[in-house]
Amino acid sequence: MTSDTRSALAVDRLTKIYAPAGTGGGGGIHPISFSLESGTFFTLLGPSGCGKTTTLRCIAGLEQPDAGRVSLGDTVFLDSSRGISVPLNRRNIGMVFQSYAIWPHMSVFENVAFPLRVARGETYGKADVTRLVGEALETVELGGFGDRSPTQLSGGQQQRVALARAIVRHPRLLLLDEPLSNLDAKLRDEMRAELKRLQQRIGVTTLYVTHDQAEALEMSDLIAVINKGRLVQLGTPRDIYFNPADAFVAGFMGSPNLLQGTSEGVAAEGAIGRVKLLDGRAIACRFPKPIAGGKPVIVSVRPEFVTLAPEGTSTPDSANALAGTVSSSGFLGEMTRYRVQSGDIAIEANASSSQSIENGTAIVMIFPADKAIGLSAGDE
Amino acid sequence: MTDLVSETDGAAARLPRLRSTGSWRGTGLNAWLAPAGVIAVLALLIVPPILVLAHTSAVTEGTGAEAGHFTLEHFRSIFDNPRLYVSAWHSLQFSALSTMLSIVFGGLLAWVVVRTNAPFGPLAYITAVVSLGTPYILHVAAWTFLLGRTGPFNEAWRDLTGSSGVLLDVYSMWGMVLIQGMLWSPLVFLLMSAVFRRANAEMEEAARMCGASIAQTVWKISFKLAWPAITGMALFVFIRNLESFDVPVLIGGPAKIYVLTTDIYLAMTEMPPKMGHATAFSLILIAIVSVALVFYSRFARHADRYASVTGKGFRPRPFDLGKWRWLGGAVVIANFVFVLLLPLLATLWISLMPFARPIRLSALKLLTLENYHIVLSDPRYLELAFNTIVVAAGAATAAMVLALLAGWLVVRRWPGGRVIDQLINIPIVFPGIVVGVALLILSLRVPFPLYGTLAVIMLAFVIRFLPYGMRYAHSGVMQIHRELEEAAGVAGAGQMLILRRIVLPLLVPALLSGWLFIFLIGANELSMSVLLAGPQTQVMAVAMLDQWSSGQSVEVFALGMCWSVFMTVCALVFYALARRTLAGAGEGGL
Repeated sequence: MTSDTRSALAVDRLTKIYAPAGTGGGGGIHPISFSLESGTFFTLLGPSGCGKTTTLRCIAGLEQPDAGRVSLGDTVFLDSSRGISVPLNRRNIGMVFQSYAIWPHMSVFENVAFPLRVARGETYGKADVTRLVGEALETVELGGFGDRSPTQLSGGQQQRVALARAIVRHPRLLLLDEPLSNLDAKLRDEMRAELKRLQQRIGVTTLYVTHDQAEALEMSDLIAVINKGRLVQLGTPRDIYFNPADAFVAGFMGSPNLLQGTSEGVAAEGAIGRVKLLDGRAIACRFPKPIAGGKPVIVSVRPEFVTLAPEGTSTPDSANALAGTVSSSGFLGEMTRYRVQSGDIAIEANASSSQSIENGTAIVMIFPADKAIGLSAGDE
Repeated sequence: MTDLVSETDGAAARLPRLRSTGSWRGTGLNAWLAPAGVIAVLALLIVPPILVLAHTSAVTEGTGAEAGHFTLEHFRSIFDNPRLYVSAWHSLQFSALSTMLSIVFGGLLAWVVVRTNAPFGPLAYITAVVSLGTPYILHVAAWTFLLGRTGPFNEAWRDLTGSSGVLLDVYSMWGMVLIQGMLWSPLVFLLMSAVFRRANAEMEEAARMCGASIAQTVWKISFKLAWPAITGMALFVFIRNLESFDVPVLIGGPAKIYVLTTDIYLAMTEMPPKMGHATAFSLILIAIVSVALVFYSRFARHADRYASVTGKGFRPRPFDLGKWRWLGGAVVIANFVFVLLLPLLATLWISLMPFARPIRLSALKLLTLENYHIVLSDPRYLELAFNTIVVAAGAATAAMVLALLAGWLVVRRWPGGRVIDQLINIPIVFPGIVVGVALLILSLRVPFPLYGTLAVIMLAFVIRFLPYGMRYAHSGVMQIHRELEEAAGVAGAGQMLILRRIVLPLLVPALLSGWLFIFLIGANELSMSVLLAGPQTQVMAVAMLDQWSSGQSVEVFALGMCWSVFMTVCALVFYALARRTLAGAGEGGL
């Protein structure tokens, strides 16, 4: 590792607002701030149009933000208070584009060598270029492909060329803009693991943009969930998955059951409190944020935490029990997903495929109170 | 791992905004330099002709004290003279009828060749490309011979009926329409075949699966889907016919059927030239064309919506015509005979005769290669060819260089891009004859020698053909994925380097197609050069017109044959290059 790759990325109140388009406040990003230790694999996760790609492009210098400060180690890329904006071609950032952006009129070697040939301030000799390109191609396991035309390569190979081009100059920051979205499913899974291994090996601070929560969970050290241009939660994958900050994050990370209700009494941060559902029944849940009484609440319960038990099974005090009837089921291989009607609400539950429950069977759904997460519904 | 989480914008102290919010391509003065340069060059090319037209049309003529005063007399005299309305009516009639002819014939041919299993398809392409390489004037000369009083058609008519009259007088509106329609049908064919090739066969198959017969499918699906493209193209061809000059001057002239373009030409060739009249007339023609183009562009937007309905991985599966195949083949053969073979044979016949003679066996003993001998040995003709190639190639090069810069700046939304886009497309409303008038007057007024030089012809071509070049460059840049340039920027390249290393190499096919297209139409161009070519700076089409209308020489046919062979080679290269581009960009070439 060179000392360069140890430097950290700091983004402070980065803002870019587009003219309001139709409904809502329009696109763009509202002030977003975060800072990363070097070597972090950091993912910006959110639905399309949420501003994650805009954030990435502002850091790259492809978009000019309205305001904010971006620095990498000691180098300031952007500081609106001092009127500094370093042109993108002097930032020395590696970037992989969604379309890979491999130049079809250059060989694989020339594609990867391009950043070295056009670098400002540094000149690389012929031997250096050959060596560095060779190293980069070896890193992405494309050694010996230099003379090929990129148009003869498969999608996965083109992806590797793009990666080699991004890392050839040993940048201090690597930006990846949905790089796996154009690959087919099987290749995508392979590349996920490989990309993560590669990032760990070269230790470069990496900013990854995706809308795929599974990708984000598997690869990241740190995830920022973005919605409507705002950073709604920043944390480790486990954190985000098990302790979503609000109903949006909970809903975006997989497909939990979201039950509407009202809080009964005050609950402190992290405490178990009670929620009255719309049909009058009450359940216990954990509140990650403090909440006042009588507020609208959404309770998020993941299907994997719901156990289906025969009617009349006794439940421990720390768990909720809702009676219902199985209305449909879907066999998914390793498990079966049941849809259970309980009063006015339908709840999904995952169960092992080893047993099967007939439609119409009356059952009890049991889920622990601390796995039911009470989220304020008034956030948005 | 992290030392700071998000802040809500309400609590956060607001940072000052960046002053300039330009694109990544640069901010401030730097980002304006390239567009400003292009705008300046374009303005220098396009504004003076407009000013000179406007000025000349609104001041009194002459050399005395009364000259140079503001007047609307030129416009008044035009509108007061019933001749304007006659000419306008002729223009309308001529354009509408010849448009219909070329659309029906070219469109039918395109459908037969592209969408059915009729035989001889390749013959249609050869016909179109070769006729594209032949100067219009040669077509017209051949057809006036074929349809003339002593031509084979009227002779056969007299032999059959024993009358002494003619079946068809070529020097008439019908003659004009017939020949103009014939001239345009190859281009309509090429453009329509691109449209039909893009059409998704699955749409037709879906109709067949729903139980529609072949006739129902053709009428309700194929035809209806192509309808916006057909009408759009018809409007476009109509406008080009309105501006056309070759047929109106060559046939309308002797027939005394004048249209708007020939009126302007006659006013300029009178002695002394009525410049005020001609320029006022030019402005009127520009207004008419502009109105028509506004309609066209509205329509073209609409037409695009239909035409872009193509499925993924479609293969055009031709219709099986069954026992009607021979009829489809006959259409292809008829097209070949009328558009190419007959004019070619007529030209060849006359070029081998010592003087123009009807086609007879008895004339065979007169066959001579003397005309070819003269054409190929006279240095005057060599100079003529050289002049033409220099002018056309120079204009094509200048236009494509400008178009490359303009196309890139416009598509990539540089500051000033909109201005460039509008400026470069202005000449679309200038008919060739109007550019000729403007540049002629301009060349007389500038303080340096421009009048009667090759440079002024070249200048006229550049102005007139800029929009064509722009179409090629524009659609070419559109096809370059934005990220290809962004990746180069992130890699460390500046804008000029991106243009040179990424954009230019990827744009070569489009630029080459555009260059050859402009070269081809420039080399056969008549309406601008007829006013601008001086005695020492003749170009091919003008020389042919002079020779042909003086009516003394049959050398012109030998000259035309040689020139056509050369241009056909160029056209074939163009076609090979443009096949892909043409299919992608629709009528991008025109």
